[in-house]
Parts: sequence; structure tokens; C-alpha cells
Amino acid sequence: MAHSAYSPRRQVWKWFNPLGRGLGMWAYVLNRVTGLALVLYLYLHLAVLSLLSHGPSSWDGFISLARSRAFLALDVILIAAVLIHGLNGKRVTLLGLGIGMRVQKQLFLALMAIALLGVVVTATKIYGWW
Amino acid sequence: MQTRLVTVEAPPLKPPIRGEIRPRPGRTWVWQAATGTALTGLLGLHLIANHFVVSGGLRGFSDVVAYLRNPLILTLEVLFVVTVVIHAMLGVRAVLLDLGLSQRLETLVNRGLTLLGMATVAYALWLTWIVIR
Amino acid sequence: MRVPLRVFRARPGQSAHRDLFVVEVPEAAYVLDAVELAWAHLDRSLMFRHACHHGSCGSCAVRIQGREKLPCITLVKDVWHGKGELRIDPLSNFPLVGDLVVDVGGLFDRLSASEMAITHAVGPGMAPAGERPEGMEQLTRFQTCIECGICVSACPTMATNPHFFGPAALAAVHSARIDDGDPERGRRLLHVVDTEHGIWRCHGAWECSEVCPQGNEPAWRIMDLRRAALGSMARGG
Repeated sequence: MAHSAYSPRRQVWKWFNPLGRGLGMWAYVLNRVTGLALVLYLYLHLAVLSLLSHGPSSWDGFISLARSRAFLALDVILIAAVLIHGLNGKRVTLLGLGIGMRVQKQLFLALMAIALLGVVVTATKIYGWW
Repeated sequence: MQTRLVTVEAPPLKPPIRGEIRPRPGRTWVWQAATGTALTGLLGLHLIANHFVVSGGLRGFSDVVAYLRNPLILTLEVLFVVTVVIHAMLGVRAVLLDLGLSQRLETLVNRGLTLLGMATVAYALWLTWIVIR
Repeated sequence: MRVPLRVFRARPGQSAHRDLFVVEVPEAAYVLDAVELAWAHLDRSLMFRHACHHGSCGSCAVRIQGREKLPCITLVKDVWHGKGELRIDPLSNFPLVGDLVVDVGGLFDRLSASEMAITHAVGPGMAPAGERPEGMEQLTRFQTCIECGICVSACPTMATNPHFFGPAALAAVHSARIDDGDPERGRRLLHVVDTEHGIWRCHGAWECSEVCPQGNEPAWRIMDLRRAALGSMARGG
């Protein structure tokens, strides 16, 4: 990890380094990254929904784009972010209330396994294989 | 370089007064946790209702209008957007406060995000109104 | 064995660089032994801290292969396996004084504010009656925390937020509250840390507990303080 001695600038990205760290740190970084990504998505989603105010032709035009395979792939990534953030969020809530502290690592692994399962199930549904 | 640890002034040695009005950051955390927990249900319902009960997974324009005109659905969606915006604003606030800003900037962040949140919800409600009208 | 140490070097006003010191150490050498040999035989200007040499003073804390450790109790062969270099860097999140020495003043200011006593009584459950010398009703031991700053270096919030009270000091408040048992003092100490940059800037990365060389578990202590704060809030306190 590079050190710049005596640099007066605060390194705002210093939290973003889970390499070589414990599972709790990975959970923290994942939660933060997915959270920020989902905030961006929220505004993207609202922007897309504004097409509804322009009437059926604009909206239905977007819908045909939304059916493309590339777009559906983005949907799978979105679901992954939602599941990772949501499930890990449950863990953060529990830990913050003092519950499950002895098993925080196992809890993280179990929840991420569920998230993975969720992503696989959703992907099969989205791509119509199910 | 690593950030400098600021010398902490030891606070005045008086016990807290019952009912005293002072900032309670714990309350903010409770709101964050509570909206997060509520979102498990609300977001789940939002996804299922929008994408998993309609064939092809996507609603055309007339489907969207019909969907939103249902009073139960409308309530759900309004509740959902308010909850998700609160959670999102509180989340961004947490990330920004972690940067150790000055008092002035912190106040700016608090006010700015409150305004942004209100504007976002207002926009979403306006859009919903336009669609179902 | 011949160990290549890659050591961080820096002085005020100069840019940082890393020096290579190749030292000959016994198989059972500790990392601190290797650093001391580098200083003694290769470069007397190398700055580093060391005192007790047995993991109880916390002075020598550094990052070894990127991970926070006490070099006096870390065997070279546990962190270097014959290939590549053995990287030694100063602790993160503290201002640098020079080379491997950081300014831990901010940490000690916070520890003072925490009112943590350096010793505490050992409760009845902690030493079986059979082990206690006759006539001795009370045992006292030193606090688990050795104030080494390792947890502060590993904390992601400490990395970007200079106002954060930090894992060591928050854990110290927790210790002070439970050891004393005085509810008035307990309330006052909770008041000190129930603030925006106290317990509420922790996000549960758990890295402090992961790296603590003494098993003080700052993470659960912080969450326990939060539980206490939420309880106090619920009771209208």
C-alpha cells in the first residue's frame, strides 16, 4: 500500500481496500459499493420512468430496449447488488443490536450464499430458461 | 498521508439531563436500520408486483397506468419510494460523514440531503400523478 | 536464514522510499530481531520503536506484509517463506514522524478521555478458587488493551475521518464502564461516546477485532456500547 508521507490531502478512498483483510471488511466494502451503486441506479430509474410522462410511444420504445439480452444482463447485476446489500444489511442491523457478534463471519458467508442462489434463480427467470 | 488524529477535547463532566434535547445519532441509525428492514418487504413486493406477475416481466404503457390506478398498489409504491429515498439519503450521509468534515460542511450535508430527498419524493409523486391522471 | 527486508523510509520534507536490508537471522527469529539487526549493522538512521519485546507494551506495532502486527512476537518464518521480500511499513492512519515511527498522541488523548484504568479486578468467574492463593480475596490484572494502535491502523473509518473516536478508545470506554460498575460514571462515559463521531461512525467492518494482538475485541465492545446507547435512548435518557 503506497504511503505518501506528509501529503496534506486526505485520501478519501482509503476505506476501499479489503485485500488481505478479514471477511468483515469485505462485507463493509461490498455494502458501501452496492449502496452507492443503488443510489445511482435510483436516479437512473427515475430518469427512465420520466418517459412515462411522454406517452405510450416513448415508454413502449424503451420497453423493447429493455427486452434486449444486454439490458437483461444489467438487470441481473442490479439484482445481485440488491441481494448483497439487502442481506448484508440484515447482518449489519443484527450486529448493531448486539446480536450474532460471535458468528459475524459465518453469517456473512451464509447470507452471500443465499444472495448467490437468488442471483442464479433470478437470472434463469429473467432469461426465460425457467 | 494518513489523516491526522484531532485532539479530542474531554467533554464537560456533567451527567445527561433527562429529556434534554440534544442530537441523538442513534436515532438516525435506527431510521436507517428500520427503513432497511422495511425495504426487504417493500422492495420485494415492488419487484414481484412489477416484474414477476406479468408475462414477459415488463409492463407496457397501458399496463403501467392500470397498475398504478389500483389503490392498493398506489399505496405500496408511495410507501416504497418514501422509504427507499430516506434510506438512500441516510446512506449517502453516512458515507459523507465518514470523511470527517467540518461542522459547517456537515450541516450543509444534512440540509442538502434533506432537500434532495424531499425533491426526489416530490418528483416521484408528481410523475405518478401524471401517469394515473 | 538470509531475509530481505523491504522497509519504508521517510523524513520530514523528503519523499518516501523503501530500502532493502538483507539480514542474517536465526530460524526462530522474530521480525523485530531482523529490524534491529538492520539498524545495528546496516543503517543506524533507521527509526523504529521497541521496548518490552514480549507483546505487552504495544510500542513496536507496524504493518508486516501489509497487515498490522507486533513484530516482537511475530516469527519471521510465519510471515516470510523464502520467496520475495518481507515488507515492513508504519501503522496507517497516524501522522508519520519518520520511517516506522508514527505520532500516537491523538490515540492517547482519546484514551485519557475514556478514563480507562490500567488495571482491573479479576472477577470470581475468572480464576478458579483452587488457583487463588490462600487469603487472597481479590486478584488484579492489567487491562487487555496495550494501546498499540493496531486497531486504529486497520479501521476503515479511521482512514478517512480524523474526528472518529476510534476503536481503541471506544473499547476503553466500554472497559471503564463495566469494570467500575458505578452507574453515574457509566452514564457519563456513554454520554462521551454517544455522538456522531463516537460509536455511530463505526460500520462494523470488524477489522479491529481481527487484528488486535491481545484479543480485546473492540468491535463487540463498540456494538455493546451502541446497545447501551439505544437502551438509554428508549428509556428517555
